[in-house]
Amino acid sequence: MSANIRPSGVFDVKYAQDISLNRTTSDRWIANGLFVLLLLIPLFTIEGPFGINLIPQLWIGTIVRISIFVIAVQGLNILIGYTGQISLGHAAFMAVGAYSSAIFAREFGMSFWVALPLSAIFTGIVGLIFGLPSLRVKGFYLAMATLAAQFIIPWLLRYPLEGLTNGSRPIEVPIPELFGISFAHENAMYYIVIPLTVFMMLAARNILRTRIGRAFISVRDNDLAAELLGINVFSYKLQAFFLSSLYAGVAGCLLAFEANSLTLDSFLLDRSIETLAMLVIGGAGFPLGPLFGVAFVNLLSQNIIPAVIPWFNSIIPTLFPFINTVNVFAALNPLLFGGSLMLFLIAAPRGIAHRWEIFKISWKLRPFSQTR
Amino acid sequence: MRKGLLLLLVLIVGVLSVSAQEELPDFIQHSECSVDLTGETVTVYHFGDISGSYAFITQPLLAGLTDAAAYFNARGGVCGATIASDNRDTGGDLAQTQAAYDAYSSLDPKPDLILLYASGDAELLRDQLAEDEIPALISAGSVPGLYGEDGASPGWIYATNPLYADQFGSFCRYIGANPDMYPSPTVGYISWPGAFGEAAFNEQTISYCAAQGVTVLPTPEYFLPSATDISGNVLNLTDAGANILYTNSLASGPALVAATLVQLGMQDTVRLAGVNWALDTSVALLGQRTQREGDGLPSVNGLIGSLPFLWWSETDQPGIALITEQADANERPITARNIAYLLGWAVVDTYIEMYIQTVNRVGSLDAVNGAEIQATLDAMVYTPLGLYTQDYASGAIRATSGNRMAMIAYLNADGTGLATSAADAMLVPGADGAQFFVPILVPLEEFSAAPDLRPGGADVP
Repeated sequence: MSANIRPSGVFDVKYAQDISLNRTTSDRWIANGLFVLLLLIPLFTIEGPFGINLIPQLWIGTIVRISIFVIAVQGLNILIGYTGQISLGHAAFMAVGAYSSAIFAREFGMSFWVALPLSAIFTGIVGLIFGLPSLRVKGFYLAMATLAAQFIIPWLLRYPLEGLTNGSRPIEVPIPELFGISFAHENAMYYIVIPLTVFMMLAARNILRTRIGRAFISVRDNDLAAELLGINVFSYKLQAFFLSSLYAGVAGCLLAFEANSLTLDSFLLDRSIETLAMLVIGGAGFPLGPLFGVAFVNLLSQNIIPAVIPWFNSIIPTLFPFINTVNVFAALNPLLFGGSLMLFLIAAPRGIAHRWEIFKISWKLRPFSQTR
Repeated sequence: MRKGLLLLLVLIVGVLSVSAQEELPDFIQHSECSVDLTGETVTVYHFGDISGSYAFITQPLLAGLTDAAAYFNARGGVCGATIASDNRDTGGDLAQTQAAYDAYSSLDPKPDLILLYASGDAELLRDQLAEDEIPALISAGSVPGLYGEDGASPGWIYATNPLYADQFGSFCRYIGANPDMYPSPTVGYISWPGAFGEAAFNEQTISYCAAQGVTVLPTPEYFLPSATDISGNVLNLTDAGANILYTNSLASGPALVAATLVQLGMQDTVRLAGVNWALDTSVALLGQRTQREGDGLPSVNGLIGSLPFLWWSETDQPGIALITEQADANERPITARNIAYLLGWAVVDTYIEMYIQTVNRVGSLDAVNGAEIQATLDAMVYTPLGLYTQDYASGAIRATSGNRMAMIAYLNADGTGLATSAADAMLVPGADGAQFFVPILVPLEEFSAAPDLRPGGADVP
């Protein structure tokens, strides 16, 4: 693994060091420092406790949304990146997490803190069911089998379960509370989402260091060889589906409670495709891939494109008078999204995370690194 | 000497600018300004689906906002402040809606008011708007969006048209009162799925309609805005006994239902009705793609629906005359002359009156915030350009109630009445040389209060 390359003289003397998440003291300090910095961000916004307008308030909502999708895409990373099993129904599993947590809270009066793990486990079990075809099929055929989830689950939520889910209509989701403290404000929600995202990211990275993670990788690389080595391929595929769906369930639950509202339109096929694209752009198989992919796609579609639209609207009437400027967003958003995806597939098929690894190695080996 | 000259120059420029400023017509009666806001800006913040399935109505809305802002700015704006607009397209994607809301709500200071129009956006943002204390204006809305799921918790969103449920009630009241035209009325509800399309179909409307002698089939049919063949949906309803179809969709939605009825040979046995958006110009134009058997008129000829505001054809009304004159001056095509264009003008006029009243009360534009605007909205009774009256009953309600039923028809060749067939209809050439029938809306009754069909509403049986 490329990340193991370190400068001459830095080496592990114990097995614990070899498998530790942060191999050096400086790594540990940087990781912990970044986490603390991340937690401090809301304090320096205009709506923070000190009312300091040092960091734009917009960042909070953006970071929260990115974090929630990082969890979702990390689930997909476990399934696709670690285990090599394709899924086109990830948004449907997010819907299961979102709706089950909302139902637990609305119908059974459960607190968010109970609804979150229960909905995650429930979604994991649903994922397990839709993972069953992976015993018999793989590749393109498995993609089609998981696509079924994307049609069956929304249908179930929309029609047979309409009494609980309100069908196609949005439903209100209670505001999370803890010891009387309300998490209605996004600055407060930030302190639920960020620690949970960091925990889920570390857990996903940790999986790679365990027996399960190594089994996942062996299934991905050559399932026949893995089976010959005594690995129960079917069991590990199902575990990957369970874990992947569990992550999707957590993300769905957070999405519902963050907006205090929930609608099926947020979990359609286009969302599944988008999460897949996020993983491809970020880098499948890399623990940091989801972070890079989600940040790239979210910032592009929700911040950068809307920001450049006025500029496009000002130049288009001159350059292309036959184009109606009010339609620029409709054209530009899919164009840049699709263009970026193609660009990454051609120029950086292993994603941003792979580029990041190369950069890190070059940095560590400087001045002896060979930069290309 | 130079100072004197400079002062004289400033005076001349001032006098010229005052004399260049045009006057508002007498029928527009804004409150007197007690604070001069010259040099300041009042921004209309707006985000929504400008390029998706709502584009037929939202692009004219933007045109209306732009033309109205230019018109009023040339006549003093808001006590001298310039009216500006800040729009953001969401393409109908709820993730983009959330991102747009985050971008606007994190402005410092927060917007005093946001203009929305999609029921789904309203329901998504209802709690967030309340949390941030930002009122929002929406053209019409659903019960959950305006009053919460219990129907009894007025939020921060105000509709300038009656609730979709109340509009459905108005329709049932009308057909129930006209049994000679609509004998044994059995209504099948066919619409788009989602917050907007499903907004009118609930227990309250079904029981209210039953009390009016109108049966509403218990199972609605829904189709996606992208659908091209809905004959199965239509047949499900007609097989169940529907002789009237009611749709809470817009643009291509009602046009597709009408075309399907023609294709199934049901144009004379099944009537079509809908929400206020079903009477939009876009429907009257899209409905021309399919002609009725026999008379050859467009498939939507005779479609009835809610018309809770004045319409383009009511040119004897000064507000309509003014908007028509401005649309002509700005060379707006027929596709832009729709409901949303009218509402764009009404919204800008409402903004002006709302800001004048609020600034008069709080003393300066800087002191205006969402809570103050809400206080004004609650107390304000206003009829923007005469199009409709908004009166939120001191904050007790969140939607206007005045409504009337109207019908889509087409002008005859000499423009004196309604066409009875394609042969005697007025046809005008379009941009691509194709011939277009000229749509008009015919009011079928006078304005009256729509029934209050919120859960626990005054008119729920």
